[in-house]
Amino acid sequence: MPSVRIPPPYRGPTQGTAELSVEAASVLACLEAVERKFPGFVAQVLDEDGNVHRFVKLFRNGSELRRDPLAERLAPDDELEIVAAIAGG
Amino acid sequence: MAGPTGDKMIIVDMTKQTAAIEPFPDAWKLLGGRALSAKILLRECDPECDPLGPDNTLVMAPGVLSGTAAPTSGRISIGGKSPLTGGIKEANAGGQPGQHLMKLGIRAIVVKGQPADASKRFGLEVTAEGAKVVPADAYRGQLNYELCENLSKKYPKTASFISCGPAGEMRLAGASVACTDQDNRYPARHAARGGLGAVMGSKGLKYVMVDAGKKSVRQPADRKGFGELCKEYTKGYLGGPQMFKHGTSSVVPVANMLHTFPYKNRTSGQSPDAKTLDGARIVESFESRGGGMHNCMTGCIVKCSNIVHDAEGNYKTSALEFETLTLLGANCAVASWEDVAELDRACDDVGLDTIETGAAIAVLMDAGKMSWGDAKGMKSLILQEIPGGTERGKAIGNGAVATGKFTSHHRVPHGKGQAIPAWDPRPLKATGVSYCTSPMGADHTAGLIVNPGLAPDQYAYESQKVQLVNAVNDSSGFCQFLQCSLDDIRKFYGALYGEEVTREQIADQGWECLCDEWEFNRRAGFTQADDRLAECMSQDRIGAGVVFDVPPEIIQQVYTRQPAREDMFSAKAAG
Repeated sequence: MPSVRIPPPYRGPTQGTAELSVEAASVLACLEAVERKFPGFVAQVLDEDGNVHRFVKLFRNGSELRRDPLAERLAPDDELEIVAAIAGG
Repeated sequence: MAGPTGDKMIIVDMTKQTAAIEPFPDAWKLLGGRALSAKILLRECDPECDPLGPDNTLVMAPGVLSGTAAPTSGRISIGGKSPLTGGIKEANAGGQPGQHLMKLGIRAIVVKGQPADASKRFGLEVTAEGAKVVPADAYRGQLNYELCENLSKKYPKTASFISCGPAGEMRLAGASVACTDQDNRYPARHAARGGLGAVMGSKGLKYVMVDAGKKSVRQPADRKGFGELCKEYTKGYLGGPQMFKHGTSSVVPVANMLHTFPYKNRTSGQSPDAKTLDGARIVESFESRGGGMHNCMTGCIVKCSNIVHDAEGNYKTSALEFETLTLLGANCAVASWEDVAELDRACDDVGLDTIETGAAIAVLMDAGKMSWGDAKGMKSLILQEIPGGTERGKAIGNGAVATGKFTSHHRVPHGKGQAIPAWDPRPLKATGVSYCTSPMGADHTAGLIVNPGLAPDQYAYESQKVQLVNAVNDSSGFCQFLQCSLDDIRKFYGALYGEEVTREQIADQGWECLCDEWEFNRRAGFTQADDRLAECMSQDRIGAGVVFDVPPEIIQQVYTRQPAREDMFSAKAAG
């Protein structure tokens, strides 16, 4: 099963869970699976139209998914990392 | 090779208006910025002194790596006893002065004393030939932008400036210290928190001019190793997500989503105006108005600073950041980023911390003394009433707590007398632990932890870890937005001086910095009873009904050093 790494700012709905594995063959399916387990999670990653928020970036095995990231396929040993922009200033 | 040698400190006596050069102790070579400031203050400054009197000491200290070729490493720390908190304070800023001072081998400017005639103004000129105090009465009362424009005509093009505005001259506790940026020498980079501008003003010091001329960057002992580190980190950063390439203002929607975008004096954690205050609107304006992203100092690869133009395409302000959009915007129910840009410029000009000023005005509004969202009234208050010295202006200029007293309004969100920044301690409880225990008072740059799912038994460890990492980072000269770790910093230090800096050494340096600062505060009279936030933070619920409810016994755990874990050395500076 692919694993998903949750960034610290988004661990409210996951109640502190930082990483989990879910049955999913695509990035979108992966995010939906996390949502089923932790309701409220996916709104942090996707906007009202179902697109990735512009302040979120997705990485598969360390490489950024730039074009149509939600449609990208995930292999069982893939690692999906979610990165969120956080800074003070 | 030993790396940079022959470093110096400038000791300025403002009572006699003299400046003397002293050698910088070799034993302190790995101390810079915040840690150096703390060390000097603990030795040289009576913690019980009047922060606006002659016995306070003002320190200006670049980071250890400032002036080198290390990327984004030119920040400068300003330190002293804070007139806002009554404790030790360090606030740091970008811009060019840190780079220029270190190219001259100046590790610190230490300003003591006070002129007998409080109406007198002076400047400090620092060049390769030395340092001298010069008369500056002609600049008395000038706004920062006007001042720096005039100084630019007087001094060479290679000079940079550190200045205080009218708020500092008036010794107002919300006053900032401004540093000029690299492009146009605009005074838009502020060491803002804690009222250090008032300390500078109390010493009659209107500006510092630093001219490094054609001095080159500081040469490391291990040139090859240092150069490889610079290349590696630059490539790594530029090849990564570059989350701050549109500035910190792009954080607005995330913060709003997490209920940490305070609205109306923090009575809510979300603003209905998040979309119109979103930094994305600023980025959109670049196409039609001009402006754009830039680096505030030479050698910066983050380029998080925005240059903001008005509707006519004229420069308005720069570094319009998330905290400013929150405190002067959402927290005062101001809905338009353009209004906040006006207010940001006004604060930069008068020389005020935008966080403290926004929080103070929100208290005024909450007390019913000004309408919510009255941006025009706010601008008049900042530009007219504060420099004009009205009672209301002085209250706002002295910060949120002073404004609460002035209006007899009890609801003042603060920690140790300093207004709470945007990041809210109710959903972000570990950040609240940092606000309670940081020697700096409620200051997100001291220990920000944006992790709403953190377990309570981790609050103290995480707070201590981030406070320690940030203390080291703010001593190095690196900008927090480069997100360096302790391992990163010790490698740069090692290559700079040609000797290994161990994990134990670098962690000890951060802990020692915190201990020096806590000791200063203890001598100033702080006790455990001060390690708390204003009552409204534990009573008024936001978001999913959360309050700041971390028990004192967990908060106090921060003062007991935890055994270092592997994650401490890879944790990124965060503020």
